[in-house]
Amino acid sequence: MKHSPARLATLAATISLAAVAATAGTAAARTTAASAGPIKIGISLSLSGDFSDPGKFAMQGYKLWAKTVNAKGGILGRKVVLDIKDDASSPTQAATNYQNFITKDRVDLTFGPFSTLLTAPSAAVAHRYGYAFIEPAGGGPAVFDQKLNNVFFTQPAPIVESGDVFVRWVLSLPKAKRPKTAAYPELDDPFSSPIAERMRQQFEKAGIRTVYKTIYPSETVDMTPIVSKIASKKPDMIVGGTQAGDGYALVKALVQANFSPKFLFEANGPNSPGEFPSKVGASNTQGIFSASDWFPKAKTYGNPYFVRQFVKTYGGTAGGIDPGSAEAYAVGQVAQRVISKVGVNNAKIIAALHKGKWPTVEGTLHWNAIGEPTGKFLLMEWLGGNLYPVLPKGVATRKPTFPKPGWGG
Amino acid sequence: MHQLIQAIIIGILIGGVYALMASGLTLVFGIMKVINVAQGALVILAAYLSYALWSHLHVDPFLSIFIVMPAMFVLGVAVQLVFVRSLRGPDASELSLLVTWALALGIEGVLSVVFKTTYRVSLPSYSDTTWTVAGYQINEVRLLGFVTSAVLLVLLSVLLTRTRFGRAVRATVQNPTAAELLGVDANRVQTLSFGLGVSMAAAAGAVYGVIYPFNPGSHYDLISRLLSIVVLGGLGSLGGAVFAAVGMGIVESVVAVEISPIWAAFSFFVVLIAFLLVRPQGIFGVRERTL
Repeated sequence: MKHSPARLATLAATISLAAVAATAGTAAARTTAASAGPIKIGISLSLSGDFSDPGKFAMQGYKLWAKTVNAKGGILGRKVVLDIKDDASSPTQAATNYQNFITKDRVDLTFGPFSTLLTAPSAAVAHRYGYAFIEPAGGGPAVFDQKLNNVFFTQPAPIVESGDVFVRWVLSLPKAKRPKTAAYPELDDPFSSPIAERMRQQFEKAGIRTVYKTIYPSETVDMTPIVSKIASKKPDMIVGGTQAGDGYALVKALVQANFSPKFLFEANGPNSPGEFPSKVGASNTQGIFSASDWFPKAKTYGNPYFVRQFVKTYGGTAGGIDPGSAEAYAVGQVAQRVISKVGVNNAKIIAALHKGKWPTVEGTLHWNAIGEPTGKFLLMEWLGGNLYPVLPKGVATRKPTFPKPGWGG
Repeated sequence: MHQLIQAIIIGILIGGVYALMASGLTLVFGIMKVINVAQGALVILAAYLSYALWSHLHVDPFLSIFIVMPAMFVLGVAVQLVFVRSLRGPDASELSLLVTWALALGIEGVLSVVFKTTYRVSLPSYSDTTWTVAGYQINEVRLLGFVTSAVLLVLLSVLLTRTRFGRAVRATVQNPTAAELLGVDANRVQTLSFGLGVSMAAAAGAVYGVIYPFNPGSHYDLISRLLSIVVLGGLGSLGGAVFAAVGMGIVESVVAVEISPIWAAFSFFVVLIAFLLVRPQGIFGVRERTL
């Protein structure tokens, strides 16, 4: 089939017009600064599927923020409306949801979904259209490796650094009291293993000998063989690069093997105050360390109000609030403050967030050029059946206690 | 050497529980040629039922077997009557895969809504008790799980070999047409056998929920293991399933301890493939005659 020059010219013109129209659409989406009407915010959340529990925690935080803001008249006189769509814990669906929010629903802003897995592709979609992407849970390397300028992660530091606070504390101990040997069971997972690996490298550099290191697949439910091997090496310290399920299973297997190290840190599992005691037995929690970004009694910006309102709205106790709700609430706090300063203009929001410091329930946040927060995680320790922040000093409510007592102690 | 023997002990104890799970799967296949890929989901459903009885009514997870097994038997009978019985013709086995897979997804969905996706585990007071025997550690819960599984498997074996129902089942397995000609009600046998298979999953689920944390998605890993066990043991062979399950437990445990957990599950599949190359019908399977 041949095309005449005139026909080709017409085709080229049509494509050009379409491109101009698309660009205009993008620009319109980027600066939807209508002065009247509510501020529409698109959020994809995992309300079903594997991440439905943390997804719902995030939804509680987002909704509470919107409720409290609207009760005070909204932002710049405009009410906030959240458009929340379920992504069924699927990264593809999350990306599709954001595509629709921006190109079809023409929302003013987008807030992030749950987990790195869903945040990475979603942030890329938002970046393509020039939208700011303030997000509560995408703290893994997959998000920051994209080097996007529109990402702002509302936790104190990238997830991979969450064990650093424990490393610094251990290495601050007098040499005689430090562990001499360590074991590193690590889940084969992009969010867990890197935390333990980073800790291992720092400990080895400081002279703490690695006596056992293994990576186990995500389908591992029986930690007994791994613990059997660890126990035979008798390490002073165990650093688990864990997620929740294997984190519980590791502790249970250690209890059953009757092997209690002097120091036990897990990347995830013990940092779920509502879940951990019921999974391993409350009497077995004593002296176990983990890291966290938030705790109910934190004296951070707006936290007492957040905790009060949360309990009032959803019931339960302050201790039962999942950090995921606080992380989502912090997204709203950042958005509220930046909109108050620069209005609903995504380009201006991105530029503004790269400067200055932003107080939230998660602490005062500051980001580098690719959205990594520059703060530090909290070191948490189970003491007397409760989870307390034990470092850093200004925030801690208890001192770190060691060595870990035997199980049930 | 001490490590190796400890690993073998761990493998035998957990292999017994997998044998119980796989017994229902292989029984149903033997009688109906139905590959019940919902068996893993049914195990997890039973784990949740046992967990609910323990957490709300303080019923000991092992005693809950007396409640969960009959309840799941009824469920199994209902599933067979509603979903499986209507599958007939030469494609029945293939269709059963789809139907039972849909059932598995349905169970997972319901459990996700009711119990959420957080991990659960039943924690009776004795769950942390471990005995040291001749220098080797034996956890009480795992030993109880193994003993429970062994008792139930023996009872199942007695049922199949020493009762009228068992003879009807074995006759149906060997030659359904001849069994019907001799007065065996094949439909009834199939329905009751499906219920029996599900009730075996129920007992195993109650045990599983004490040993491991689980969530609604835990059935994916379970079913891949169970299918491997029944294939290695020989489809339809109860003894083969027991042998293969214990073998799997030992291989995985030894490889996890001596080499790496990464290779543990894979190593079992290597054994499976190598064995099937030599003996395609599995350990205790019977090679079908071809014309």
